[in-house]
Parts: sequence; C-alpha cells; structure tokens
Amino acid sequence: MPPSGAEVRKMVDQLPNRGREAEMLLEMGFNSMEDLFADIPEDVRFKGELPLPAPQSEEEIIADARRLLGANQDLGSRPSFLGAGLYRNYVPAAVFQLVTRGEFLTAYTPYQPEVSQGMLQAMWEFQTLVSELVGLPIANLSLYDGSTAAAEALTCAVRVHNRKASQPNTVYVSELTSPDKLSVMHNYCQGADIAIKTLAHNPDGTLDLEAVQAAAGACGVYIEQPNPLGVMDEGLVGLKAMLGDHTALIVGVQPVSLGVLEAPGHYGADIVVGEGQPLGSPLTAGGPLYGIFACKQPYLRLMPGRIVGRSIDVDGNEAYCLTLSTREQHIRRHRATSNICTNETLIALMGAMHMALLGPDGLAELAHRNMAACQALKERLSAIDGVEVVHDAPHFNEFAIRVKGTANACLAHLDQHGITGGFDLNRWYPDINDQILVTATDQTRLADIEALAAQLALWTTHAEVAA
Amino acid sequence: MSHLFGHNGAEGEGYSQPAALATAQDPVIPASLVRASPARWPRLSEPEMVRHYTWLSKRNFGIDTGFYPLGSCTMKHNPRVNEVIAQLPGIADIHPHQPEHQLQGWLSIYYEMQHMLAVVSGMDDVTLQPVAGAQGEFTAIRCIQEYFRLRGETQRTKVIVPDSAHGTNPASAAMAGFEIVEIPSLEDGRMDLDALAAVADETTAAMMITNPNTLGLFEADIAEASRIVHEAGGQMYYDGANFNAILGITSPGLMGFDAVHFNLHKTFSQPHGGGGPGSGPIGVKSHLAPFLPGPVAARNEAAPEDMHRSLDGFMYRWHEPEHSIGKVQQWHGNAGAVIRCWAYYRRYGFGLKQMSEHAVLNANYLRHAIHREAKAAGVDHLFADGAETEVAKHEFTLSMQPAKDALGVSAMDVAKGLLDRGYMAPTVYFPLVVPECMMIEPTETESKDTLDTFAKHFSQVLKTDPETLHEAPITTPVRRVDEVYAARNLCLKHPFDEA
Repeated sequence: MPPSGAEVRKMVDQLPNRGREAEMLLEMGFNSMEDLFADIPEDVRFKGELPLPAPQSEEEIIADARRLLGANQDLGSRPSFLGAGLYRNYVPAAVFQLVTRGEFLTAYTPYQPEVSQGMLQAMWEFQTLVSELVGLPIANLSLYDGSTAAAEALTCAVRVHNRKASQPNTVYVSELTSPDKLSVMHNYCQGADIAIKTLAHNPDGTLDLEAVQAAAGACGVYIEQPNPLGVMDEGLVGLKAMLGDHTALIVGVQPVSLGVLEAPGHYGADIVVGEGQPLGSPLTAGGPLYGIFACKQPYLRLMPGRIVGRSIDVDGNEAYCLTLSTREQHIRRHRATSNICTNETLIALMGAMHMALLGPDGLAELAHRNMAACQALKERLSAIDGVEVVHDAPHFNEFAIRVKGTANACLAHLDQHGITGGFDLNRWYPDINDQILVTATDQTRLADIEALAAQLALWTTHAEVAA
Repeated sequence: MSHLFGHNGAEGEGYSQPAALATAQDPVIPASLVRASPARWPRLSEPEMVRHYTWLSKRNFGIDTGFYPLGSCTMKHNPRVNEVIAQLPGIADIHPHQPEHQLQGWLSIYYEMQHMLAVVSGMDDVTLQPVAGAQGEFTAIRCIQEYFRLRGETQRTKVIVPDSAHGTNPASAAMAGFEIVEIPSLEDGRMDLDALAAVADETTAAMMITNPNTLGLFEADIAEASRIVHEAGGQMYYDGANFNAILGITSPGLMGFDAVHFNLHKTFSQPHGGGGPGSGPIGVKSHLAPFLPGPVAARNEAAPEDMHRSLDGFMYRWHEPEHSIGKVQQWHGNAGAVIRCWAYYRRYGFGLKQMSEHAVLNANYLRHAIHREAKAAGVDHLFADGAETEVAKHEFTLSMQPAKDALGVSAMDVAKGLLDRGYMAPTVYFPLVVPECMMIEPTETESKDTLDTFAKHFSQVLKTDPETLHEAPITTPVRRVDEVYAARNLCLKHPFDEA
C-alpha cells in the first residue's frame, strides 16, 4: 500500500525533491518514476511494499530510542567494576562538542587534500601523539579496534620476517589473550597459513620466560602489558633480547597505562598495538572504537592502514596528504597489505582531542588515578574473609579475585544488589569458575568500592551457609 | 597556521581532574617499568584546544559544508537526531559484556536491524558484527570458505572478480587465502558473461560483484551470471556499495545472490567521519547462516516470570551460530553506528523505496542538467557519457577524454576547478574502464536547485581557460598538494628535533 499523506510528510524532511518528481521527470522526457527503473527485469523485481513498519517522525523515533535504550542498564548509574578490555574513563566535554562539528563528522576520506587539510593535519598530529605515547617512530591513523590491530600486526610480522624465520608462518601469542581477540587473530591469519601458538604463564600471572625460548625464530610474538589479568610484567623488558632481530615483538597496550608505564618502544617492542578507547571514547557497547598501530621503520612499507604525510602545495606552503598508498587496496588490489579502507578516523580524532587536553602531565595523573583506584579496591577487597586476590603482583587497573561459590552466582548476587561486579573469567578460561576480574578506573568512587565490599562480604556469608 | 605541537604551555592540563583515591600504600610500579621520559605531548588549556580544533574544522569540507557528489560513496545528509540518540547513556555507557537482561533494548534494536536488512536484501540471516564494508566482504568470503570446507570441497580456491570492482573485493578475498581471477568487462563497462562462463568451474568458490555496477548501470544479465556461477558450484557475493539504488525495487536475493554486505555508512547515513567509523553487516542465505560470526541477536517469547522485564513480549539473547567462523571484531560490531542507522531506517520504514527512487531521480536529473547546461554554454563537446545508457541508477560517469584531447584539460583539472566553486569534487579516475573518468553521485538528499546550480558551475569550469584550470584550486586552504614530495620526503609525525 502506498504511504498515506501523513506518512509521506514524515519522509519529506530527508527528500528535498518530494513534490517535484513530475517536473523533473518531464524535463528529462519521462512520464513516471517507473521509467527510471525500466532496465531492471521484471523477474528480479520486488512485488508490493516492503513488509516493514510505517515511517516515523523524528519525535517518534527519539521517543522509541529513549524507551528502548532506557531499558539497558547503563553503567554510569550504578557501581561498576567491569573492564576486561574496555574502560570507563572520563571523556572531557570539549571532545564531544568538537567532534560533532559537521566539517569533521560529515566528511569522506580525505582524497581531495586541498579541502581536507583539517582532518589530514589532525590525523598527522594523532600519529605523532601515538608515536610519542608508545615510543615508536611510526603510527598509522587507526585500525578498527584493538583486536584487529593485533591481528594485522601478526600478519605484518610474517610479511616482514618470513624469509629469515626458522619457524616460518608461525607466531606466538600469550595464552592469557582473550578468546574473542584470539578468534579475530585466527580469522585474519588463516588466509596466510599462519600458525598461532601459545605462550605459557607462571602461577603468579607473569610470562613464563623459559617457555618463550620456543618462540625463537618465529615471525612474531604478541603479549600484552599490562596483561589481560591486569598484571604489569617486568619480564617483558628482557624479551626483545631473547627473541633477536628476526622476530617481531608485538606489545598490546592499554594506552592510559603509558602515563606511568614505560613505553614498549623503549624496551624493544617492534610493533605496539592497542585498544584506543580509554582515550577519547565512551564504551558505546563495544564500538565504534579505534585500534592503535605503531611500528619501527622496517615495518613501514608492509604495514596496514592509512598514513598522513606532511608535504607542500604548489606554492611551497605546508600541506598534508595521504601517503604510501601503494600498500593499500585501492591501488595494490589483491596484493595490498590489508583490505582496510574505511577505518575509525573520527574516533581517533576524539582520541587526539583527549590526548591534547591531557598533555603529558594530565596523562600521568590519569594513569595514577587509575592505579590508585585499583590499589584502593585491592586493599578493601583483600580485607574480606573469603575473597582472595589471585595474583600477588603489581596491577595497573584490574586484578583477579577468587570468591566463594562460582563467579557466575556471585556476580548474579551483586547484580541483584545494583552492582556490576566485574568480569567472570570463566568466559575466557573454561577451567576456572570462581574468579572475577575486577576493574577500577578514574570513574571509580570510594562509595562504589564500599558498596562492592559490603555485598561481597554478604555473599561470602551466604555462600558459606549454602555450603 | 595553528600547530598542536606549537603549544607548550605551563605544566598542567587542559581540564582539571579530581584527586586520586586515598590508599594505605602507594601503588607499586616495578622499577624497570617506570616510564623514564614522558611523551612529548603538547600542553594546552581548554580555550587553546577548542580554538585549534575549530580552526582545523574550518579547513575541512563535509556534506554540511556543501554538495558532495562523490561517486560510489553515497554522501547523503546525516540527520542530527542520530547523533543525539547515539549519545544516550543506554548505548554510550554500555559494556558489551553485561548480561543479556541488562541489554534488552540494545538487543531488540540489533534484532530489528538484522530483520530489516534481511527483508531489503532478500537474505535469510544477518550479522551486524563487521565494522566496515571491506570487513563485511572478508567475513562473507570466510563464511563461504568454511561452508566449502565442511562440504569437503577444498578444491574451490578461486574467487572471480570483475576488473571494474572496488579494490577491497580482491583484497578481501586474497586476505582469506583465495586466488583472484579477474575477468574483463565489456567495452560498455558491463559484465562479460562469456568471460565469466570461461572461468567458472569446479575451482570457483565465489564471484564478487556489485549491481548497479560502478558505472551506475544495472546489470540486466545478473540472474544469468548467478546461474553460471551456481552451475559451476560456486557462490554469488553481492557488494552492497551501491545499495542506495535498489531498496524496495529489487534485492540481491531476487538476483540470485547467496551473500551480501551492506555499507550502513553509505545507505543508512552513518556519518563518514572523515574516513570512518563505518558499519558493514552481512546477510546470507540459510545455507551460509551457520557460519556467520557470532553472536547474533535472537529472541524467544518471554516466559511468564520474565514478562515484567520484557519490552515487547520477547526476551532477546545472543545466539552463537553452529559452525561460526568466530569473530572479526572483538565485541559486537560498531553498535553506535548501527543505532544511528536504525534511527535513519525508522524514518522510512516501508517507504525505503522512495529513498532509492529519489536517489535515482536525482542522478538522472543531474546527468540531464549537466548535458543541458553544457549545450547552452557550448561546451558539450568536451565530455562524453562514460556509458551509453537510457537511464542510470544512483550514479553516472562522464569521460573527460574529449577535453583532454582538445584542450589538455584532465578530469583532475575539472575536479580542482569544482573545488574553487565550493563543491567537493566527484570521484576521479575510477572506474578505470572509463578514460579520464568522473563519477558523480548526488544522492537523494540534494534539492533540484542544488543540482541545477552545480550543472551550471560544471559548464563554467569547462569554459575556463586551460591555463587557469591547471592552476586550480586557488581559493582553498592550500593549493594542489605535492603527493610525490610527500612520498619522497616522508614526514609522518612532528619532527621535534627541528622544531
């Protein structure tokens, strides 16, 4: 059925030529809209209207959005200790205000540099900010997220090192890596016949450096700092020396931690990747995010993603443009270093804005606040009978605790009492069922910690009674 | 010029942070891991930072700035309500690892979007996880690969791609490990069925193609192409880059395709953001559904005890497909983008066909107007249609070869001339089958007046003397940028030592 008058009016706001169709068609010598589709054979045509609901006005849409999204439990309205790869860090108001400027928001990829200098320069500055953050000379202007950045780092390492590797087409990845991230790695690596082997850890949560010997001669090693259990691992500092020149050391970072932790580029990392989200972006249910990718010089021409270079215009004035495009799909097609085209520029821009506001002092302070909140949480929870901090190690902003009963039941108890207690490590490590990864950020308040501690104490009593 | 790294103010930061939580003991950082020297980041106050990025924004051109006829990119208006919705805490402050009962609203919107995309594409199942068109291509090709592996048809190692395809098609298939077989297009830019029949065989895993094609032409033989590939035992993959032309009129399902990706940032108005984020869901026929990356949104009728927390009589949940290829993004895709596109789709509902009708109306009208104005200005001999056709779909191509031959004016010169007149340039030099190609896509959100005025300016650019045009642009923030210099004198970050 054709839309009613009221329904048509709802669509007009997006269709400036509603009501002028006949005039435009007539001028072209056509009689009806149908004439414009005469080239589409009857046998592939839809018959009738699409079986979808009626059009809505803006007011109706926003009302539905408020109703539906209001049914979600947003984490700002209760104590939350859920992290495990995404973190509730405060994003300054100026970032949101500036990033919705239409000149940034509604631009395409800057293929016409003369009218895209704003975004090009902002991304060149982003590359500099990331390069400085991680201690490596080169950074691209973002990949999709931390997981695809890690996966692309592995394939990049193989492209660079395969010829000299004694373990060709082989990479090693920490056994603690989230299975979701590992799954992305498998998808990206299988096409290039890359075998992914795992690196074992010690009971204290640090990397087993003996086991690393097995990785010598492989194309790359991927390890996170702090690791997925929040542990800051000193062992990584000596890793590059153990691996040698022909194995890429790839370090995955939580960018906020680099306000206090040494930049991996300064202890031998060849490639640094990470989830950029804690700098500049809300959680947004896990996307859009932005993947950080930085590397040393030998990886430059085989790396994935877009890069901005500083150049000059015909008058010799400073100007920016995309460069090294011959690595990319629109030129190199099936021999490209990656298929990536659309990336996460706007979220990277939010990252750049947040970094610019923080400055080096602000980043150090932010990192310290994360660590202090984590320390306060650890001090409070370790005082509870029946709660045990699993790893006696330095933690950045999260750590594993062991609870009475199952983690699943404990988290359900906390949820019933209005607390998002953390992440059930059973989802990552199926043989563990009594551990919760608890996360603190700069958004964690003392009252949140007290609420969690009180309910955990209560849970312990319940669980003991039940047992 | 405003340079971020030129700002190096007093110690401190651009926004003040509250005090750290008090602890009994100071947090410990292992000695060898203490950062020795801070990042050389700038120090800006908030007013300086706001002014810097505002200055940068003024040196950037978006749809909000002016007409953006960039072919194959579908640069339509981005309604602002979408931005308001995406900032609501019920999506912005949600963690993907929260339990399902806390995510009923989000899951129901995902379910609704999966359903809508299945309806408009004629597919059976949809995943919203891929975060860009290229990732959607890769994901679908991976599903096809696992489908054949499970059937034991491991000899299917080749993917057929027309030479006019977007570069991501061969790049995505190669990344999944396939050998690429490129087939030439006919002289008029259409698909060559004989060339396809000659290469389709028992080694064919899939053919990747877009329809309407990159010339803006509908491939009327598409059902025959599907028959050829299916008879050889292969799968048909639809590149949804040009979906804006066909919503509610035809669908990949009706054309015989098995899998399709959508560019939500094209068809459904997720802002392009200067290069991303996008969203690239895929739809598949039921035989490929078990291979989709998981989880996807599913629902059951709510049990009586769940009724009080059900939105609509259903409880929504995540579902892991039986033979899932696993994940292509760590979480559940670009949820924020999907929400914006949900808001856009809700505007049209069953009227989505009108969106495509107006996209095609505008493209044909602009093509007509350009010829009309060029004739009036006496410059119609300086270009030709890129493809001889009665009607185009959502975009069309022009060849500037006559201008090149007659005056030495290239497609790039014309593009730069348009920049001087306040327009974004059309896509140039793609597709390659059209010499000195300009590819123009106005989208449905431009008024007739805008199209008429653009057509006049296009003619005036062609009337400009070649010397002046070679110099264009002159009114833009910078003039022609030396890309060769950029590549030869790599400067990929601020050179602190020179500063």
